Amino acid sequence: MAVLMSPPALRSEPAALPKPRRVSPTATVLLLLGAAYCLLPVLWVLIASTKSASELFNTFTFLPSTHLFDNIAFLSSYRDGLYWRWMVNSAIFAGGGAAVSALVSAMAGFALAKYEFRGKRVVFNLVLAGVLVPGVILAVPQYLLLAKVGMTNTYWAVLLPSFISPYGIYLCRIFAAATVPDEVLEAARMDGAGDGRAFFRVALPMMRGGLVTVFLFTFVAIWNNYMLPFIMLGDDKLFPVTVGLSGLLNQGATQPAMYTSVVTGAFLSIIPLVVLFLSLQRYWRVDLGAGAVKM
Amino acid sequence: MRTRGAPYAFLAPALVLFAAFLAAPVLYAGYLSLRRVKVSGLGLGAGARTEVWAGLGNYTRSLTDPEFVPSVLRVGAYGLVVVPVMLGLALILALLLDGGRTRVGTFTRTSIFLPYAVPAVIASLLWGFLYLPRVSPIVDVLDRVGITAPDALSSGWVLYAVANIAVWGGTGFNMIVLYTALRSIPTDLFEAARIDGASDIQIALRIKIPIIGPSLIMTFLFSLIATLQVFAEPMTLRPLSNTISTTWTPLMKVYRDAFVRNDIYSAAATSVVIAAATFVISYGFLKLVGSRAFSQES
Amino acid sequence: MKKTLASVFAAALLLTATACSSGDDSDDAPAADPNEKVALTYWSWAPNMDKVVEGWNAAHPNIQVTVNKQDGGDPAVAKLLTAIKAGSGAPDVMQAEYQKIPTLVAADAVADIAKEAGDLKAKFPESAWNAVTLGGEALYGVPQDSGPMMFFYRSDVFDKAGVQVPKTWDEYAAAARKIHQANPKQYLGTFSSNDPGWFAGLSQQAGASWWGVQGESWTVAINDANTKKVADFWGGLVQEGVINNKPMYTPEWNAALNDGTQVGWLGAVWGPGVLEGNAASTKGKWKTALLPNWDAAAPANGNWGGSATSVTSQSKHKAQAAEFVKWLNTDPAALKALAGTANVYPAATDATSVALTQPPAFFSNQPDFYTLAAEAGKITKPFTYGPNVNVAYSSYNDAFGKAAEGKQAAGFGAALDTIQQATVGDLKNAGFTVAG
Repeated sequence: MAVLMSPPALRSEPAALPKPRRVSPTATVLLLLGAAYCLLPVLWVLIASTKSASELFNTFTFLPSTHLFDNIAFLSSYRDGLYWRWMVNSAIFAGGGAAVSALVSAMAGFALAKYEFRGKRVVFNLVLAGVLVPGVILAVPQYLLLAKVGMTNTYWAVLLPSFISPYGIYLCRIFAAATVPDEVLEAARMDGAGDGRAFFRVALPMMRGGLVTVFLFTFVAIWNNYMLPFIMLGDDKLFPVTVGLSGLLNQGATQPAMYTSVVTGAFLSIIPLVVLFLSLQRYWRVDLGAGAVKM
Repeated sequence: MRTRGAPYAFLAPALVLFAAFLAAPVLYAGYLSLRRVKVSGLGLGAGARTEVWAGLGNYTRSLTDPEFVPSVLRVGAYGLVVVPVMLGLALILALLLDGGRTRVGTFTRTSIFLPYAVPAVIASLLWGFLYLPRVSPIVDVLDRVGITAPDALSSGWVLYAVANIAVWGGTGFNMIVLYTALRSIPTDLFEAARIDGASDIQIALRIKIPIIGPSLIMTFLFSLIATLQVFAEPMTLRPLSNTISTTWTPLMKVYRDAFVRNDIYSAAATSVVIAAATFVISYGFLKLVGSRAFSQES
Repeated sequence: MKKTLASVFAAALLLTATACSSGDDSDDAPAADPNEKVALTYWSWAPNMDKVVEGWNAAHPNIQVTVNKQDGGDPAVAKLLTAIKAGSGAPDVMQAEYQKIPTLVAADAVADIAKEAGDLKAKFPESAWNAVTLGGEALYGVPQDSGPMMFFYRSDVFDKAGVQVPKTWDEYAAAARKIHQANPKQYLGTFSSNDPGWFAGLSQQAGASWWGVQGESWTVAINDANTKKVADFWGGLVQEGVINNKPMYTPEWNAALNDGTQVGWLGAVWGPGVLEGNAASTKGKWKTALLPNWDAAAPANGNWGGSATSVTSQSKHKAQAAEFVKWLNTDPAALKALAGTANVYPAATDATSVALTQPPAFFSNQPDFYTLAAEAGKITKPFTYGPNVNVAYSSYNDAFGKAAEGKQAAGFGAALDTIQQATVGDLKNAGFTVAG
């Protein structure tokens, strides 16, 4: 069982270690237990989405069935493919919101990390205070204010509030401080680059890895958000997938909940995020404490 | 040499958005919390209701609501369960991954991170299915081996049932944060200890954990904030049981007042109280640990 | 003061918004020209309502209606009231449950369309008409569907257990005991702390009317003797353990309907759709009867669900909207589409003859389904809703959640006192005049 493992990529071990780095069965078992705990509900939703409506409540839970494609077909035909529109909306909200938010945060974080200016302390404390405000509390006043300019029930009603992410600014400040050396900026200025040029041509590429992290972070936050789109949107063609699915579940007393569609929809909605995670996994390296990011 | 206006130009978009979508709504909520609707008579005519100043009336009503204190205590108890369990698990898993003594590192790291991708609303729905005795595979399996599982949504267990969803969703993210911090520790810092015969556990306790202290403090703080704002999980589970009331957590009370009772003024007052409490607790915590993690200079 | 503050905030918003604001599609002056083209939005949660509306749109090129499907009665009203408060964002036409109408009227959210709609009183049962007029001259919506309660039961299980269809609540209790004793996994019903509308219907049958108007003040009677009788009855059965205490509309309840452990359901006329959606495989095993009664000699009934179609106070095309609402709920073709496509039980009295000639598919074994439904509707007792039904209903969730979990009969009566207190307290606090 005890097999010598090849040394991990980052740290090579001297040959003369008193205790060789053997595979530890305890560590493996504990990690696998953790993985099983985290995968169990996902496995359940995968299996449940293969069941027909009556099988969902009648057969043993972990016994897969053959109706996955029927369920997907039914979900896709529900009100002319509304579900897929919800997925596209989620992608627009999360993708657009996260992209703009990452840029806004990068500029602000860069300014906070690399400049001394009056009011810096105030701005930074505002950002920190912003991190602490719960979204549920903001949603109602945000709605009332947006309604005054007639923008509720539009994509903008969800996108605009998503553009500002105090947490993203906080992270970007860390990234900028850690990855953009002052000397490089000085050198750029020596070459006659203005502040804007120094930022976009020099600092931004250096912060790239950190920005992807902020993008991913914000993307997940918007994708998972329920309250803001729920309040802002009246037309269900504009819904993101979270609001749409919960609507299928809570149709009111006179309608049956569409469990099969909800379960299938939940399963399908996880897939894009999983793909996104796996493909960009190396960017999930947030070091909150040391103020550094490793690329 | 540097343009004086440059930092302000870089900050401008963020500040404008901040003013419009964070500061203005917060101030507006503060304003609403001091207002109320006054109805006269039957309240059915078009002019029967007017908005008037309420002074601090909404605050006294919110704070003296018999359901308010229990919901605050409940969130406190919930936090005592979630934060240590979630961070404890995240730390242990991160240390195991960092120890490198396993061949399932990549698979487990990805699997444990996966729940972070599942929206809280959907996660609660999935766990709801796994909790309800009649449809739960867990109860089913235990039943087959002769164990009667307790009803996860009964009054004695419901707190842990909700906490479990938060732990499930949050462990992976915190694990990645701590793992990143662990990977940035220079090897020579513990190599010497290892040669001196220190065990992995000793190295973890005496060297690794103290070094990643700042990361632990920050994950603790962000977990604490998330805990105080617990909302989506109990909200989704509520219709499945008798044990989660509409005011189970303070934010659920805000939701109920604003959307079910159509009283945004009380909701605003409770919101302001929650926001103030969050500030006090967060800053109090940072003062307590004397952390410089949030300081200006990095 | 409010205006200035708000406009400051709005200006701050505009600052960021103008750069990317999309085209504004709001309409301008009120309609004067009959040939003017208008577009109406309609919030509804009934399934396939867009298909029903297609019939109108085809015949009325100048008044085009777009349906925005909603999640259900509660979220739709919450959103509407927020939009009313904000001053924009409300639809022109809105599906509104009967119990929400006083709330909507009090919030000035729905328009009086008595003049535009003309006299429709004769077309609807009195209880529905009262709900949309609040007993006055104004008309706050046209009744769309009604929900007389009905009793659904598994006839195969009843036959096997030798249980007769209960005519009275005593017989219901006896049947519940017998079924549960024969098979401890089976329940005749459940007490749901999640469905205040259901309990209100049962109380209505017992003669309760939770709100009332006395001169210029409201009365609240949620803990009156009639409702207490209902609460004590269910509390007793739950304490005894012969009735389940878990909420309805959960995956668990679904499973129980499917596997035959929930063998009866006190539902309403729209029940077949719910049973079919949740337990299609049990088709043919269910039968329908009138609700059991407190007094077999004086049969009565209650309502669960049912809604009207209202024109909102923000609509700029009140006349056209009223015309559409009137068509939707009285025109024979529309009634047929409502019943056949949107699966609702139309409130209009002549709907039974024009649209409801066949039993619902799930009850094809019960040809007299709609005859029973009509009878159930006829014996429905009057009931008045108040301006804070939402407060009473959310208080019901909490108080009866506790009582059902506690499984003590005494807790059920106490829950009513809690709800009564919360409801009266809220009315007084808002400034309503409350008698007593």
